[in-house]
Amino acid sequence: MSDSTTLAVVKMDGELDIGRRAEIRAALAVDGHPSGVLVDFAAVSYADSSAISELLRFRNDLNRRGLPVALLIQSPQFKRLLEYAGVHEAFAVFDERAAALTYLGNAAS
Amino acid sequence: MSLPRSAAAPARPLLRSLAVPILVLVLVVPILLGGGYVVSRVLRQSFGNSDARRAARTLNFTLLKDQLDEETGVRGFTSIPDPAFLDPYAAAKRDFPVKVAKLRERLTVLAIPGAGALLDDVVAVNGEWLAHVAAPLLANPNRAEARVLQFRGKALIDRFRRDSEELDAALVAREQGDNRALQSAIDNVSKLVFFAVSLIVLLAAAAAAAQSRLAARLEAARRRAESEARANLELRTAFETEKRIADTLQDAFAQRPLPVVPTLVFSATYIPATDETKVGGDWYDAVELAKGRVLFSLGDVEGHGIEAAVNMSRVRQALISAALIDADPAAVLRRVNDYLQSAGRMATAVAGYADAATYEFVYATAGHPPPLLLQPGRGPMLLECGGLPLGVLENCAYRTRRIQAVPGAVLVLYTDGAVEHSRDVLEGEALLVQAARTALEKNVTDLAASIRTEIFGRRQVGDDVAILTIGFAPGETTRMTFAADNTHGTVVSGPRGVGPKPSPASFGVAA
Repeated sequence: MSDSTTLAVVKMDGELDIGRRAEIRAALAVDGHPSGVLVDFAAVSYADSSAISELLRFRNDLNRRGLPVALLIQSPQFKRLLEYAGVHEAFAVFDERAAALTYLGNAAS
Repeated sequence: MSLPRSAAAPARPLLRSLAVPILVLVLVVPILLGGGYVVSRVLRQSFGNSDARRAARTLNFTLLKDQLDEETGVRGFTSIPDPAFLDPYAAAKRDFPVKVAKLRERLTVLAIPGAGALLDDVVAVNGEWLAHVAAPLLANPNRAEARVLQFRGKALIDRFRRDSEELDAALVAREQGDNRALQSAIDNVSKLVFFAVSLIVLLAAAAAAAQSRLAARLEAARRRAESEARANLELRTAFETEKRIADTLQDAFAQRPLPVVPTLVFSATYIPATDETKVGGDWYDAVELAKGRVLFSLGDVEGHGIEAAVNMSRVRQALISAALIDADPAAVLRRVNDYLQSAGRMATAVAGYADAATYEFVYATAGHPPPLLLQPGRGPMLLECGGLPLGVLENCAYRTRRIQAVPGAVLVLYTDGAVEHSRDVLEGEALLVQAARTALEKNVTDLAASIRTEIFGRRQVGDDVAILTIGFAPGETTRMTFAADNTHGTVVSGPRGVGPKPSPASFGVAA
């Protein structure tokens, strides 16, 4: 879960649907006091409304805790789904891991 | 269901409770009958013996008295030879054998050991006395040895008396023995009766206990069956209620009337998900709020089943209520989002207005797939979308987008089931665009159903799918042909999803 110094990384792959809801919830349960969270969904190709709902609730939680989040997306299909959901408005979305890390580094400093 | 089990359970207790009366019959009745027989036999024998004993003792005394009478008569005659003295002698001598025979008969019945021998001796003494004392004395009362004979006679009489007393003692002893036997029989029968009564009482108590246990068990079984039946009824009622509610909701959904407005054309379709829950969270609405100005909304509430349907109904009504207050779609969605914060359910929606007078579509989306616009002579356009789903974040801002359309333009609204069936949403969008264009060119009356058929054919639909189309009636000269797919060049630009947003000016959207 923990990356480099104090960065938390959430990594999932495949298709995120209601059948994996508990798994998604567990993966997104970031505890402790990381400097930021990298949600690495580079290998995710699909998310249904329940998964997106979990992602948005997760965003709410981190907002309350004042933690910066970077969302790493590479699948165009998944990206399009997140556009439907307005997720690109709520998250800092990146298609390169380096850019995401830079964003989180800047946010933490 | 376990009703048959509870109905069969009392069978064994029933047998057990029947076993008790059967035991009573088998054990107690023979005991009482046997005891009764023994008592009656002992009593009968005892009474019979008692008569025989009494008669025997009387006869025994009579024999002794006869012997004494004979002796007295002979002695008298020897002193004074008057034949009158011999009357008792003669009578006694005549009756003696008859009485002996009667006594012997009684003694035979009583079967007293030694009694026969005593009687034999009595008869012998009497015979000897008659032959060797009485006869010589009667023949010659004055003979010299008369005193000797009389002395001998006395000895014989004494022997007779001893035999008689001995016989009487034996009869008395026998009477006491019989009484003891009778007493013992009575005692035994009393014990038997006591035992039988105790047994009956015990068995009756056991039967009562078994009866009460059986009654308790039957009562418990009855209660169990009753509660099971009640629970089943409640379950069935609940199931039927849920089914009725679901059916009613679905009917209400399916029969939602579309407004009839000059120059506007509506069509709609809804396909429930193929799983057991028929009613999903998808909805569509078109309501004429002012003359020629129609509110449209279409969306999807998270989840399935009655709960989703109820939430969906809330969102629909909230949308209509908000639209009555606010003319701006973004403001409408914002109001609904605030309203939904307490519900804890997410919903995606597209809502807006179609104006028959100005050929304008105004809409806003909240986490919802983009509306599809088809206009004569132009390529299909997937319009802009975005905005967080409703009910997720407080104070969300949504964007109102305005489309200046032309006669014959059609706006296609749909839920995610229409584009996410293959889980490749880009492929889904392309299929939808193609289906819409094909359906429109066929000039069918029910455009929404036609699009659905084009997309799904005879395939099963995994998720709920709702499609609503709103069209401006074509003008006199409008030709229903559409340019090649220019989706890529308009709304969703560049490499899919990644890259700069398309400029609103390039596809005529005023932000």
